[in-house]
Formats: sequence, structure tokens, C-alpha cells
Amino acid sequence: MEGKKKRLLVLYASQTGNAMDVAERVGREAERGGCPSVEVQSMDHFDPNTLPSESTVIFVVSTTGQGDPPDTMKVFWRFLLKRNLGSSWLEGLHYAVFGLGDSGYQKYNFAAKKLDKRLQDLGAKPIIEKGLGDDQHPSGYEGALDPWLMSLWKTLNHVNSTILPEMSEILHPSMNKLEHPKFKIMYHASSEVVQHDSHISDLKDMKNMIERARSMSPSLHGHDHGEPHYLLKMVTNKQLSKGDDGRDVRQFVLEPLASVVEYQVGDVLEVLPGQNPAFVDAFIKRCKLDPDSYITIEPWSGERDAMDSYVNGSSDHPIQLRTFVSRAMDVASASPRRYFFEVMSYYASAEHEKEKLQFFASPEGRDDLYQYNQKEHRTVLEVLEDFPSVELPFEWLVQLVPPLKKRLFSISSSPLAHPNQVHLTVSVVSTMTPLKRRRYGLCSSWLASLDPNKNEEVLVPSWIHRGTLPPPPPMLPLILIGPGTGCAPFRAYIEERAMQNLVESTAPILFFFGCRNRDSDFLYQDFWLAHSSDDGILSEEKGGGFYVAFSREQERKVYVQHKIREQSARVWGLLNAGAAIYLAGSSTKMPADVTEALEEVVAKESGVSREAAARWLKTLEKAGRFNIETWS
Amino acid sequence: MALVLTDEVSLPLRVIRDLKSEGLNEEEAVVVTQCGSLGGKLSFGDAFFGTVFVLLSKIDNLTDQWVSEISRVLKPGAQVLLQTLLLPDNQAKPSSQIERKLLISGFVDVQSTDGSQSVLVKGKKASWSTGSSFPLKKTAKVLPKIQLSDESDLIDEDSLLSEEDLKKPELPLVGDCEVGSTRKACKNCTCGRAEAEQKVEKLQLTAEQISNPQSACGNCGLGDAFRCGGCPYKGLPPFKLGEKVSFGGDFLAADI
Repeated sequence: MEGKKKRLLVLYASQTGNAMDVAERVGREAERGGCPSVEVQSMDHFDPNTLPSESTVIFVVSTTGQGDPPDTMKVFWRFLLKRNLGSSWLEGLHYAVFGLGDSGYQKYNFAAKKLDKRLQDLGAKPIIEKGLGDDQHPSGYEGALDPWLMSLWKTLNHVNSTILPEMSEILHPSMNKLEHPKFKIMYHASSEVVQHDSHISDLKDMKNMIERARSMSPSLHGHDHGEPHYLLKMVTNKQLSKGDDGRDVRQFVLEPLASVVEYQVGDVLEVLPGQNPAFVDAFIKRCKLDPDSYITIEPWSGERDAMDSYVNGSSDHPIQLRTFVSRAMDVASASPRRYFFEVMSYYASAEHEKEKLQFFASPEGRDDLYQYNQKEHRTVLEVLEDFPSVELPFEWLVQLVPPLKKRLFSISSSPLAHPNQVHLTVSVVSTMTPLKRRRYGLCSSWLASLDPNKNEEVLVPSWIHRGTLPPPPPMLPLILIGPGTGCAPFRAYIEERAMQNLVESTAPILFFFGCRNRDSDFLYQDFWLAHSSDDGILSEEKGGGFYVAFSREQERKVYVQHKIREQSARVWGLLNAGAAIYLAGSSTKMPADVTEALEEVVAKESGVSREAAARWLKTLEKAGRFNIETWS
Repeated sequence: MALVLTDEVSLPLRVIRDLKSEGLNEEEAVVVTQCGSLGGKLSFGDAFFGTVFVLLSKIDNLTDQWVSEISRVLKPGAQVLLQTLLLPDNQAKPSSQIERKLLISGFVDVQSTDGSQSVLVKGKKASWSTGSSFPLKKTAKVLPKIQLSDESDLIDEDSLLSEEDLKKPELPLVGDCEVGSTRKACKNCTCGRAEAEQKVEKLQLTAEQISNPQSACGNCGLGDAFRCGGCPYKGLPPFKLGEKVSFGGDFLAADI
């Protein structure tokens, strides 16, 4: 094949890191099988124009809850959908697709299914049928991955034995040969280093230090966004929910120190959580590291990898080891992946630990690992404490410890109503594992622990990002549906429109809220009620409305979709007047239930069939007038 | 009362008379010229005009502020007509640009006609204001038309899915060895399955077992990775035999 690259390319689109992990495993196995040239790349670092020049590509793509591809796939996918590419654009390309999804959702693995079909339509040839990983499987996506991957290697080997000359290493891994880590750590004398870290004299220094620490982390893969835009102080930390069913929903009010925070409604706040210093210290002690040493991280071979373009002159700015661990490595929350256990097995000196780790890393031990690790939300620190004979070199820790991730929150205030403040409405995540261990969400529990009254200032490193939707113009009628914490962005929209209404005419808003009962979790009760009386913008007099579904106040469950059906004439009236629908919340089933209710309303009020109503709503979605934003 | 708004400096009277064919049939009309220099504001009250005609030589002069202002002076349900001249070096489809601006500002029934020399866009101001009733349209069987932004250069991605794909997915089959563990509970389980899944057969620990732990199999102190299925110490951090067991941060004394 003339002009085609002779390499095996693994392209992944990952939302939470699982697809990336799978892609790295595919690459690693190919290398073990002796494949002469293997590259693993994130789809958003790949130019789709060059796809026809590839000969063999393995795609690994996740599908999000609403059936969408991950953010990192959006540009690539849009390119592939172009009408003018033609049915022979990818002639000569051999490919395979593995999807990660959840069969609990209607739109199961849609991203992978659509990709597979589109590639064929463009002239590419599948090596084997697409593989579909399923979170509902007892061992998660690995249940489908193990057999699919084996089938892929066998087929490839059958077609062309030069691709995997050491195929036997894949079929019967000897388990005593470990590849080298991808990175090496350089230690620097403290005399060499400009003393940034010990003198955090001002906010500028702190922001710079956070950026340097995170830009050095290879696991963050250049996907980080530079210095925090703001270091915010918590001025209010108020519990909005009462009652003892354990749900803890907070309102956080954050203010910048010595700067002005600029944002618009619909924006999101991205937060870098702090880690409990006791856990950071315990990790450093367990791994026998020197917290005060200064380090830089370089690629192993000394040559810049094409895709690992994360490090920009890092050797000029060594960072203190403790700072790097605390800002870039998640030691006490995220669970490590299967490969972590595999590498650990090489460094275990106690025989029973070595055996157990090898078992966990093998296909036979996959389900047991799932029970021990994922289901119990084991942290890196806990795993290291359960296997005390393992001494992992720092190089491996840097590569394998999950990176400390930033979290996104919808902003629930309008800058018109609260200049220079950012409000958040956050549910403190808490789950009980099968072994009755209570696990808290790292970021939500950290924010909840910040006490505005304490003198020591704990600052929240934050970034402001545009939301996916532009702020609605004042004359656009709105139908807002936001049960539970889904009301967060809508408090912002309503505050904003109330302010706009003081100086100009505005269109009405219908708001549907839902919660369990009015005494325990009727978030912002006074706020909504104030705006729905006295000719307020949520009042029926003004053409709007505010309707609450209390799910547990009566025998049968009442949810927002029931309220929508009750108000079908009002909903239809606004839709007819050009309203846009916004739906937000954290439930998996809610968007589908609400969409069904809307279809019924449209069909009933206009007299068309359910199918026509469903199609009309789909068009509304494409036109940007029906927007769904959910989070888990 | 009608309003004729233009960004030109002057308008020949002929143009006003020509508008009669577009529906200007009112006795009284007000003409405002050079609107580009008015700072986006008109000196008329809310809901003053029954029709507004806008004659534009430059589409860019139609700012969002102007569209808002036009909406303000229009009576609810009344019509706006925009006509713009097509210049030779104009970008394609100025009508869709104008349509978008109208739609975003809450106008309805937006339609356009592309002529060889000019484009004409019409729209209606919505009428949900106090007291007005919504047309029932129960027998019309017609849904409001929705304008889509120009994405005709992409294929419809939903056409890539087969009938099979669109059906509700089947849950994975589970082998005999996994008796009792079929579907996982959803993340936001409301049916009680999540609570049931968390019920684990667990022997309660006695005070003796906590202060002086012993292990017949030898594995109890090693941590969950090594403990047997029925181990009473499951869930606890590793410990040394004979030394008092610590619970880590997760356990409340009341649990024991």
C-alpha cells in the first residue's frame, strides 16, 4: 500500500479515563506482541484529514449517558459526518472499534455504533466486528474487552503475520517481563531551584505553582488549562437540605480575593479540589519518598513523543515533590486500574502478595478485582496499605496513580444579582460500598469542609468556562425543568431575568422543580416563591408559572413529568410562542421520562400523532431549542 | 399605525407606495431614516405600531439591540417585514442570518423569500401577554415550523443506526456461578435495588474480636484482598494479630 503509514494507531475518545485506559492496554499488548510501530493518541490531538493515510487503526470510544460521544471526539466526529467525503475516502484503511457504554441506557454505545457504520460507509474495512463494553456486566467493560482483544490479535496475525511477530507473548504472557516506565524522574538540588514554593507570598505565586505542578503530570496529557483563573474564598457554606435521610445539599458562595470575577449565566465553574494533608503525607511515607526534594519529569527515551507534548521546558522549573503529589496525584479517592495491579506484582517481595496481584491482573481474576477494587472504591493509598511488601519506584507511581481531576459545577447565580460572587448548589456525594464502607466525593466533601469563619484561608483554585448554551436573550420564553440540584443553573437564569425585567420587557418563564418533600429538600423555596407571586417573572399573571413535584408527600410518586402533563396547555402555549426548553439534573431516567411527557403534551394539544410530536421535538433539539444537561 | 425604518439617509416616496403590495395598508405611516445613528433606540412607546417595515442597505446594521427595539414598539401578534438589497459581494444567504436574529429574540412564524435582487423576511411578535388566549389548533394538525441553522453539509448521524440499535438494549446474560447478581442498580436508584444490593451477610464483631483479633486461617489481618468471603473483618484495614483493630475513618462506633 503506497503512501500509507505502516504503524498500528490506537485512537481513543475518553470522558472519564476508561477509554484511555483501554487504548493504552491495546497499545501495550501490541507492543508485547512485537508490533514494530504502535502509537496511542487521543482523538482531539489527531487531524482527521490524515486518516486516509493510515493503514490500521483501532478506535476506542465511550458513550455518555445521553448517547453522546465524549467532548474530545466532537470535532473529529463532525469532520467524519461531512457529506462530501465520499464512499472511497477511507479505502485501504483496516480498522476495529471498541465501545464503552452502559446497557441501562436506551442509547447504548451509540457513539461506537455510529462510528463503526460511518467508517464502513466511507470505504474502510473492519478487521473484526465492533466490541461493546458494558458497565452492566458483572466485571464491567473488561468482560467484553478480553475476548474481543484476543480475537483482534488472532485475526490480525492471521491476515498478516508481520504485524505481531511475537504473538505468543500475547497468547501466553510470561508475566516476568515488564516494560520500562514511560517517564523518568530527575532530581534537582535545592540550590538549583528558584525558591518559588517555600515563599507563596502572593496569589500569583500560588497560581503559578499549581500550573507548573499540573503541567508536569503526564497523566493529565496536556488537557489541563494552565493557571487557575481565580483563587476563590468561601464566604458562605449553607446547608439547603434538612432532615435525616442523609442528603446534604449545600449552597456555596465564593468570592475572589483582590480581583473581580467575570462570568455570565450558564457558565460553569471548574474546581481543583484540595486533598487531606494527612493522606498526602501517608502516601509519601508509604512510598518512601522525600517530600522536600525537587523534581522534573522527562520522557523515558529523552526524545519528545509526538503526542505526549505535555512538558514545555519543565526542566527549567523543578517542583517540590510534595507539591506535585498534592496537586496532581489522586492518592485517596480515585481507584487505580488493572495495570496498576499488574505492575505492583513485579515489585511485590512477599510471595502471597505477588500471587494475589498476578491473579487480579489476569483474565481469571478480573471479576474478583472488580469486587475488591471498583465496587469498593479502593483508593491508591488503601491498595498500597493492603500490599505492604510492594515498593513501587516513583516513575511508576507518576505514570499509574490516577491524576487529580478538576470538577465542574453549574454556576447558580447571576452576576447582575450578585456582582463579584459565584454561587454553587452542590450535593455532597456519598455512597455505601458493598462492605459497608462510606465513601464521599472528593471535591464536594472538600468544599463542604471549608469553614468561612475560620481564619486560615483555604482557597479554591477555579476556572470559569463558557457553558454549552448561550445565555437566553430576555425576550425568549423559557420552559425550565430542573429537579433536585438540576435547579442550579436555573436559579441563575431566573435571577438574571428578574434583574433584566427591571429595565426592559422580558418573556415569561415556566419552571418545573421536583424534590422529595417540602420540609427536607425544597431547595431555594423562598426564592422561587418570591418570584412566582406579586407579578414576578415566574407568576401566572405574567404568563409564566412555578410548579413543584413532591415525590414522597403522598402514596404514589409524583415527579416533574407529571406536573408537565398537568400544565400541558401552558407548556404548549409557550412552545407555540417560540419558547426554548432547558432540562438539567442528575438522574439517569429523568430526561427520557420528561421527553416522553413533552411528546404527549405536543401530541395532545396540537392533535398530531405521537410519532410526529417526537420528530418535532427532535428537530427542536437540533435547532438548539431543546437542551438537556445532565451529570452523574 | 405603521413604522418604516431604514438605515438609508433618504427614501423616495415611491418606495413607501411600493410597500402597499407588501401589506402596508394603513392610513398613517411614520418614516425613520438613518437609524444607524440613533443608538439603537426609538422614541415611541411599547406596542405602538401595527406593522413595522425595515429597509436595510447593510445587514450588519440590524443589531440584536435593534431587533429588541423593533419588538418593543410592535403590538403583540403584529408583523415585521425586513427587506434588504443583495449586493454583488454579499455572503451567501443573508436571509438565514436575519431569520436567526428574529428567532433568537422571540419572533415567531419567521419566513423568508430570496429574490434575485433582494431578500424579504417576515416575522410576527409573539402574543402571550396577559389576557390573550392561546390558539387551540386542535383540528389544525400542524406543528409550528422550526428553522434549523445551516448544517446541510453534514449527514444525519441518526441514519447510521439500525433498527436493532434503536431497540431497548438487552441486559447481559449472567452465568450460573453468579447466582443472585444480575443487573446492577442504577446510579440514582429509586426502586430500592441499590439498598438491597448493599445488604451483606456479615458476622458482627465482638469486643474480644476487636481488642484481640485472632485468625484461624491466617488471612484476617491481611486486608480485604486476602480475606475469605465470610470473614467478620471484611471492610476493615489490615491489622496485626493480637493488636487492637482500628477502624479507619469510615466506621462509626455505632455500627458495631
